[in-house]
Amino acid sequence: MTTPPTTSAQPRRTVTLTETGPATRGTRRDEVVIAVSPAFAGHFTRTIVDVPHAEVLRQLLAGIEEQGVAARIIRVRDTADLAAISHTGARLSGSGICVGILSRGTTMIHQKDLARLSNLELFPQSPLLDEPVFRRIGANAAQYAKGESPEPVPTRNDQMARPRWQAKAALLHLKEFECIEPGRGPVEVQPAFELSSTG
Amino acid sequence: MTETQPRRDPQPRHSLRTEILEARPMNLDGFVEEWPEKGLVAMESDFDPAPSVRVEDGRIVELDGRARADFDFMDTFIANHAIDVASAERCTSMPSAQIARMLIDPGASRDEVLAVTRGLTPAKILDVVKLMNVVEIMQGMQKMRARRTPANQGHSTSARDNPIQVAADAAEGALRGFAELETTLGVLRYAPLVAIALQVGAQVGRGGVLTQCALEEATELELGMRGITAYAETISIYGTESVFIDGDDTPWSKAFLASAYASRGIKMRFTSGTGSEVQMGNAEGKSMLYLEIRCILMAKGAGVQGLQNGSISCIGVPGAVPGGLRAVAAENLVASMVDLECASGNDQSFSHSAMRRTARAMPQLLPGTDFVCSGYSAVPNPDNMFAGSNFDTEDYDDWNTIQRDLQVDGGLRHVREDEILQARNKAARALQTLFAQLDLPAITDQEVEAATYANSSNDYPLRDVLTDLKGAQAVMDRGLTGLDLVRGLEAGGFHDVAENLLTVLRQRVSGDLLQTSAVLTADFTPLSAINDANDYAGPGTGYRLAGERWEQLKKLRHVTSATNPETEVR
Repeated sequence: MTTPPTTSAQPRRTVTLTETGPATRGTRRDEVVIAVSPAFAGHFTRTIVDVPHAEVLRQLLAGIEEQGVAARIIRVRDTADLAAISHTGARLSGSGICVGILSRGTTMIHQKDLARLSNLELFPQSPLLDEPVFRRIGANAAQYAKGESPEPVPTRNDQMARPRWQAKAALLHLKEFECIEPGRGPVEVQPAFELSSTG
Repeated sequence: MTETQPRRDPQPRHSLRTEILEARPMNLDGFVEEWPEKGLVAMESDFDPAPSVRVEDGRIVELDGRARADFDFMDTFIANHAIDVASAERCTSMPSAQIARMLIDPGASRDEVLAVTRGLTPAKILDVVKLMNVVEIMQGMQKMRARRTPANQGHSTSARDNPIQVAADAAEGALRGFAELETTLGVLRYAPLVAIALQVGAQVGRGGVLTQCALEEATELELGMRGITAYAETISIYGTESVFIDGDDTPWSKAFLASAYASRGIKMRFTSGTGSEVQMGNAEGKSMLYLEIRCILMAKGAGVQGLQNGSISCIGVPGAVPGGLRAVAAENLVASMVDLECASGNDQSFSHSAMRRTARAMPQLLPGTDFVCSGYSAVPNPDNMFAGSNFDTEDYDDWNTIQRDLQVDGGLRHVREDEILQARNKAARALQTLFAQLDLPAITDQEVEAATYANSSNDYPLRDVLTDLKGAQAVMDRGLTGLDLVRGLEAGGFHDVAENLLTVLRQRVSGDLLQTSAVLTADFTPLSAINDANDYAGPGTGYRLAGERWEQLKKLRHVTSATNPETEVR
């Protein structure tokens, strides 16, 4: 079964990402970089299945921190290609490990010495990624950063995801493309979380 | 970090009817608004080019408003290889309405239509089919389908890549009527064992059924060349240069691959479909159908005999926009109207609504296509490693009943359970024997018993996957071929199965399966557009469901006997 759409007016956590300058190469060996796409927590606020981007970041950060590893967030602005975003982040990461994420939720763990089109773990079915999965992805990235070899996060499969989500995924992809700022390098961002109603 | 108190908005009250409608499976499907500027539109877009063609010195120098100097590689390939230069200007200047009328007019023969479509540009073809509603598209398909006799294709896969399951379900599928069966893998390294299982199962179920294994292109070709598979289908092509390049391909590289199959007498077709370009974000602002027509002409230009289209794995995209399924029906028609075999989709999970799933298939099932589904899941959908089909094993009785209700031939038939059990058991035993003969991982009697009565992969004992993967690698390392399978089956006492497989392998020497729309009948006669040409010319002509075949399709699981109403027809 696919996840029913979120219609309740539960309080929703939001996040604002403030740019603090060009992203630089990290010096700490024990850090994971989270690299977000051009429209993440900006033009868009939720994944394809309405997981707030604030929750995505909180869970990734929590997963990384629970492994005793530091996290840094950057925004890649000149591409919406997940492999390129993740590899950019990995090359800036002190540990060489990065979690790259698109606005619709598609996520990848990358490592700087791998080929750009390769990866450590890929989560291609964005409709199946929820809060607990993001937390596990954060924890696995941190373990790679520590030089460990964690069990990959189990990937799920839903053959009915296509009829429900394929066209929306295409639409979100096109929109994310429009938010690309060609020629602009990655920037360091600082998150500010707050709770508000969805209305 | 700051946190503010949430503000709660009151929920509007819904009617009880709204709640019922909201709960219908239909509303789990996704729909989106059109966005023509980005190509998120089925077939009616102001951004598609207007038809035009100009020929100088026997060469097309302008195609759909673009001068040769500005051609992308799709334009170049189509202009150089797909369009008949001699008739291009004359045909493309004909009124589109006249061509559309020829398509539905029983008085215009298929050959007369082909003499015109041969000279049409992509934009002109779009202009023609845009005039047609779905009923007219179906009427066109009825006449333009290349092979007179329609057929169907099935998927036989396993969520555990279990070769015994694949063999048993292939045998049942072949018996039920699929003319082609294809498989693919979860774990790709399992491919050689599963491809062998599919081939053996198919030849047990009904001699002459053709099989293929969808893989990355090099391995798929190698399995074909070795005679472990009999055809190939998953050679994808795209409607824009940018998407083509993304996949490290060009029309020429795909044409080269096609010729590699042809060089060994192996049947093959390309695959394309509406929605793939916009899905990958590179539709270059053109409608889905316009881009698909470019694919169809590219396939034509490459010289392949056929195409699998009908959106295929992107069906969720055209399925979500207005008129999307009309465009999908139109793309099948276009493949047929340029004289390609059309394996017409209906092969991917499409909707949560049973009504919508059925409606989606009508434009192919009612007129008949070369393969109505490409394919129908001959395993339960959770075992379908092509990510689920529009129809699966649970729909067999529904499909058979719809064929009987409407007196249309969708390629399947009801088969009595005792025959099915026999075929499944024999397939499993044949594979057990063959694996033993070839020193491949053993198959136990418990597995054979499970295969006989199973529904899904959950009903089989677990395999030792690592041992299987070693065995699969051994098939490749030892250079086993189709002939080794024949020899092993013969030595193991399955003479009839060995004979069936050998006869299928012989076809690659004669090359008869390279003809458009070729399939093999139960007596191994190649049936193609050459010797079974579609001769539809109005009511009472063309393929009619009659005689022995119609008697087969009258049978269902439960039909009350007219002779003795206290019993059912067997």
